[in-house]
Amino acid sequence: MRNKLLLILCLLLVLGGAPTWAQEIDPLDTTAAVDSVALSSPAPVSMVQAKDKGNDHGHAVVISWELSADDSYGDKSVIQYEVFLWKPFLYDTIQTLRDRVGTAKAHLIAHDDDSRDWKKEFRRAQKEFDEIMKGLTEAHAAYPEGGEFVNVGKVPCGENSFKHIGSKGNESGTYLPDYTDFYYRVDAVTANSEIRSQSEIIGPVQCYGQWFNTGRNPVLAAVLIFGFLTLFFVKRARKGSKLYVRPIGGIEAVDDAIGRATEMGRPILYVMGLGTAADVATIASFTILGRVAKQVAEYQTQLIVPTYDPIVMSVGQEVVKSSYMDAGRADAYDKDIVFFVTQSQFAYVAAVNGIMLRDRPATCIYMGKFFAESLLLAETGSMAGSIQISGTDEVAQIPFFIVACDYTLIGEELYAASAYLGREPVLLGSLKAQDYAKAILLIFAVLGLVAANLDFNVFTELFHVTN
Amino acid sequence: MKKAPIIIMALVTALFVLSWIFKAISFQGTEEHFILSGFKYTLAAFLTLAIFSFLYRDNPFYKFAEHLFVGVSAAFWMTMGFWSTIVGNLIPRVSEDLSHFFEVPYEPASRNLFYFIPVFLGILLLMRLSSKYGWLSRWPLAFIVGTTAGFNFVRYLRSDFINQISATFIPLLVDWHGIGHFFSNLSLSSVGQLVTILSNLVLFLGVFCGLIYFFFSKEHKGAFGAASRVGIWILMITFGASFGYTVMGRISLLVGRLTFLFKDWLELIS
Amino acid sequence: MKRQLPFALVFLFGIFMLFQYFVPHEKSEWVYEFLLDWVVVIGIFALALGIWSLFRVSVDKIKLRKENYGYSYITLAGLFVMVAFGFTHRVAEPWGLYFVWIILSLLCLASLMQLRASTNSGQKKKYLASALIFLVLAIIVAIYDDAWKFYFYTAEGLENSMFRAFFDYILIPILSTMFALLAFFIASAAYRAFRARNVLATLLLIAALVVMLRFCPWIQSGDTAWVSKASNWLMNVPNLAGQRAIVVGIGLGIVATALKIILGIERGYMGKG
Repeated sequence: MRNKLLLILCLLLVLGGAPTWAQEIDPLDTTAAVDSVALSSPAPVSMVQAKDKGNDHGHAVVISWELSADDSYGDKSVIQYEVFLWKPFLYDTIQTLRDRVGTAKAHLIAHDDDSRDWKKEFRRAQKEFDEIMKGLTEAHAAYPEGGEFVNVGKVPCGENSFKHIGSKGNESGTYLPDYTDFYYRVDAVTANSEIRSQSEIIGPVQCYGQWFNTGRNPVLAAVLIFGFLTLFFVKRARKGSKLYVRPIGGIEAVDDAIGRATEMGRPILYVMGLGTAADVATIASFTILGRVAKQVAEYQTQLIVPTYDPIVMSVGQEVVKSSYMDAGRADAYDKDIVFFVTQSQFAYVAAVNGIMLRDRPATCIYMGKFFAESLLLAETGSMAGSIQISGTDEVAQIPFFIVACDYTLIGEELYAASAYLGREPVLLGSLKAQDYAKAILLIFAVLGLVAANLDFNVFTELFHVTN
Repeated sequence: MKKAPIIIMALVTALFVLSWIFKAISFQGTEEHFILSGFKYTLAAFLTLAIFSFLYRDNPFYKFAEHLFVGVSAAFWMTMGFWSTIVGNLIPRVSEDLSHFFEVPYEPASRNLFYFIPVFLGILLLMRLSSKYGWLSRWPLAFIVGTTAGFNFVRYLRSDFINQISATFIPLLVDWHGIGHFFSNLSLSSVGQLVTILSNLVLFLGVFCGLIYFFFSKEHKGAFGAASRVGIWILMITFGASFGYTVMGRISLLVGRLTFLFKDWLELIS
Repeated sequence: MKRQLPFALVFLFGIFMLFQYFVPHEKSEWVYEFLLDWVVVIGIFALALGIWSLFRVSVDKIKLRKENYGYSYITLAGLFVMVAFGFTHRVAEPWGLYFVWIILSLLCLASLMQLRASTNSGQKKKYLASALIFLVLAIIVAIYDDAWKFYFYTAEGLENSMFRAFFDYILIPILSTMFALLAFFIASAAYRAFRARNVLATLLLIAALVVMLRFCPWIQSGDTAWVSKASNWLMNVPNLAGQRAIVVGIGLGIVATALKIILGIERGYMGKG
């Protein structure tokens, strides 16, 4: 009986364990098959190439490749590519020294630790750092001795290139030296970052800066064409050929307004806005100021020019002085015609508004660069009952001037007025060049429209400026 | 002196003192110094109202605020300019000792004695004050003007000319599958084919006519004149749109100021 | 030399900046950044020139007893106090003596101004004496109260709390109120545009109204949603076209003027003397 029981028990055990055993050996079982495949790596990327980025200041390498056959597809789906650069172990020492320099610098500024001579430490660390940096190129050239591959970036699947843009300053951890041999590798990585395939190693490749940016060829062509047009028409104007300029409301108004101020015995306020002496709109304004000042000197009217920028003040004084001399009234020139108020936008406005209400100028002229203050000025001027003429190249402010002023020079009209009111007729030559440039633009726009509709991309690409 | 200004002045002074007292009381028990805080808030409110009074007419309070503003802001910008540019940028590049004196990080990597040139040019600029050597101030000016003219020349040519040319390359026949398809799917939907095609046409013609308006050396007569007229209409619509767009922003600024007066100062709203 | 050298410099730097645009090399970039830094540094020296101009105009106003000359004292006081706070830093509490020092210095400055403004010699002597007394007192206070430093801007930023207070409670309220005035002015400007009865002003006004309606919450949905769509269309199509035309015009104006400056054709900004 006992043996019988034992036999039954043995049979049960054998029968119970049978399915498990059968599972292990069944060659058709699919689950086991998937597990074994997942452990194998995806197809690596191929045709890896590395070259200098081009059209830049150096310190950048472009790595490109052909996508892995498993790119975002199938069971071994590659979800991203990781780019590795071979770096010598010297970088560890460099980073330590960099940290030392940084710490010393921080203590020097904060004065928070008198236990050490941080000035000395700073100098020593900096010297050691400079010294060790000299050996960096050599260390890279020693590949594959004394270094390892380090991850420098990643891109998602579907992308087949990576721009390794390093810093140009060696104080940064991402510094990438020029004229140094680099070796790269690209890994195709699956969702499980452990499962990846490495590409072949590509190198040596060096990065360096270029002396000409070919991506900017369209701009160069525009410079040459525009330069030629300007010189051509200025030369023609010099030879005395007459140039027609269409009437611009604001230009004629300037002369009338000066006459009006003289008749009323009230001053003229000339505001040059918030531009600096280097802003082209301000320079155009100087030319107009010159003309206004000359007439003011002739008519012996009072001129007030409050300025926002000290250099503008300085140049304005020179311009007004010259105009008074031209008008033969050097004796009437006063240095305080042009004066500085403050370099704060609204304080300047507050002061100019005060002048408007107290001195009640017959005419207010606003020429130059204006921002939010345009309406404050123009509305106060109109409250003070002045005739107002404005001109600016700030697109957002033109509407306010149009609404509040009697005459407004819209955008380019300011430059046209400057050329027109300038003392020399040759300045008008450039107006003709500007018109030709606009005509060229219109022709290209029509051609481009046709090209865009016919999908003729070669034409549209001609105007594509890269970088 | 007339009576009215004296009465107004006395009234404003009394209100100022009153506000100071009430604000000081409201700050009692807080971490801030209550008398000083009361004064600061009252002063800020007084200056706010002084500037607003300009809307009525010019008056001594506005003049006070204006003159104070001019003096303080001029000094503020000079001080900030000195500390951020001279001390922050220049000194760390020219002298280690001065850097330590001013407690700024010394930059040996960018140490460059060429930085003494702008200092020299800056001093030349100050020569403007001398009538004999004033002409020397033209050198720094020439440097600034030349540098920025060259800088502007190429950059504007790129952004305002080349880039604008390529921006006008727009397809007029959007999503075109033949005339039959066009008519069978005709709709006034804002994303429909008809509206998109019309919009692109208006965009192109708008740029075209707008540019015609800016032709200076040709008389605006005949067809050219007509295009120029359309151009100025487009420009006016642009200015109107820009005007309308700004209005809301400006109103929110006013709301901000009124909030200070009624919430922070008078504590009428919470 | 007086006249030609500056134009040669303009040409030289202008041409360099022009070519630099096409040369991405590190060396050219280095010079480029360097030159732009120079412009900033020179600007600060120019600011000193400006402050001097403001000072002189204010003092002359007082001297000549021009209309409203009394307010010039406020400008000068504001200027001096803010400079003092900007360059000195109190390192300990309390602030009492520091303010005494500021007030004494202000009195010294006021006496100096009166000295410049006065005409008869008796008055001049009086003001000179008071200026000297206040100066000596200010120096004594400064030496006695040694708990202040000459500089205030450190790695932590602005240190003199009075500088900060002047900024927060004087500059900011006035500045934001000036800005807020725009809301009133924009309304009066719109009213002015209403009154102008010509085609151009009407176009401007209609466009402005359509765009403004977009911000009204009750327009966004229901039967009036088309207003919002029309406004969007106006912003994206005619507005864009107009903007583009203006930008091209301005760009060409700037480019032409810049070229004339570099080539020395445009010389008006340099004066003649």
